[in-house]
Amino acid sequence: MENSIVKLRGYKDGLHLIIKPKVALSEVETAVNELLDGMNPPLSGTSIHIDLTTSPLTSEDMKELETHLTENYNLVVSGVNLLDENEESPILAAPATHSIAPNIQADDQTEFGQAKIVRHTIRSGQTTSCLTGSIIIYGDVNPGGEVVASGDIIVLGTLRGNAHAGAHGKLSSVIIAMELVPLQLQIGTYVNRPPLGQKPRGYPEIARVGAEDVIIVEEFIKF
Amino acid sequence: MGKVIVITSGKGGVGKTTSTANLGTALAMIGKTVVIIDADVGLRNLDVVMGLESRVVYTSMDVIEKRCELEKALVKDRRVEDLFLLAASQRNRKDDIKPEQMLEICERLKEIYDFVLIDSPAGIEQGFHNAAAGADEAIIVTTPDVSAIRDADRIIGLLQNLDIEQITLVLNRLSPTLVKKGNMISKNDVLDILNIDLLGIVPEDPDVIASTNRGVPLVHNNGSPGAEAYMRIARRMIGQRIPIPEMRDDNFFSNILQWFSRNK
Repeated sequence: MENSIVKLRGYKDGLHLIIKPKVALSEVETAVNELLDGMNPPLSGTSIHIDLTTSPLTSEDMKELETHLTENYNLVVSGVNLLDENEESPILAAPATHSIAPNIQADDQTEFGQAKIVRHTIRSGQTTSCLTGSIIIYGDVNPGGEVVASGDIIVLGTLRGNAHAGAHGKLSSVIIAMELVPLQLQIGTYVNRPPLGQKPRGYPEIARVGAEDVIIVEEFIKF
Repeated sequence: MGKVIVITSGKGGVGKTTSTANLGTALAMIGKTVVIIDADVGLRNLDVVMGLESRVVYTSMDVIEKRCELEKALVKDRRVEDLFLLAASQRNRKDDIKPEQMLEICERLKEIYDFVLIDSPAGIEQGFHNAAAGADEAIIVTTPDVSAIRDADRIIGLLQNLDIEQITLVLNRLSPTLVKKGNMISKNDVLDILNIDLLGIVPEDPDVIASTNRGVPLVHNNGSPGAEAYMRIARRMIGQRIPIPEMRDDNFFSNILQWFSRNK
């Protein structure tokens, strides 16, 4: 895997497709097909960045690759990063040094499948998930209950259980609840929990991945 | 046509059997015809709590396997008219009974009796499903501690999956002194999480253990706080509008203070 032509990595701003330098377009496409076809559940409807160092890929080649990803895999290419050959590749760089401001702009353009609306409380032992987008819950999520979404999670009640947003690695996903006193929060691969004995604060809160690669929670005023 | 009500909790030891015995007795005392069914096959003890242990001849298993008629398996209570017990088999296991068989028994009993109360076993497995199979309504019994509330929440979810819509809560063993000190979860906290209607609160009452051991349900013991609470719940079950009294503190001085503040 480490020496393969393309790699998929999750960063704070979402998924990155990293292309090995000095490989021809046909080889890149074959490698992309191999990588994406082997994924279960399939990666679809999400946005990705393409990272490439100096390579023989021309801008026409890039266009073709983008079209290929969009048409065959329903992926949206939200940016192309051209990296200097001498610069450390983002794979080697520790994620913490990979500085990305909370980037909402890119997501505004991203249609994210359909949101799932749940019209009841998620009780202990119950799970609800939406792997094609966001979830909105008209009720509470009680301790022992679990919500998983590939997009955002919005709870119009009290979140007391577990919530996992950005389940496919979209780190710009957020969790919003009228009262946020969860057992555990997860965004992408980051997990956090509130301090023991946390009391409801009485106002809506939002959880997101902050600059230090930790999930931060703050009062939700506006997006 | 009567009502079949399952009394359940998820967690064990929160007072399902005590509540079934007392509510059944209380309903019969206010003139309703009642059957209480022990659904805890293999670990029966509703007969013990009712003091009817020595009178059980046939069990629900005998009815299901057609060794006796349903009417014949009902044990008449010693003290109250129109109160009957259908005991569970002690020799069998919970998966020896199927939900359809319990449903059939419940359907037949509710044709004749006003109330059929089912004492559910703890847990969420076959025993619970048997107990809930014939139920029109459910009463959740919980104590004010996190593990009992967590299990109650789980059970409510399962009951809703079984399309039992009418689910009410009995909050058992609430101690006003401890709530006041902040050492116990309060009524409002419990209702906040479970989000179902409160049917009643039963205070912590040392008489419960004594009455259980004697085989005389607490409601026969006039004047004890637990007995009064169960009588009020029974009256609410037959549709009377009886307010749930705010719990008073055991402390004499704070009672007086409360009395003054009420009269301001």
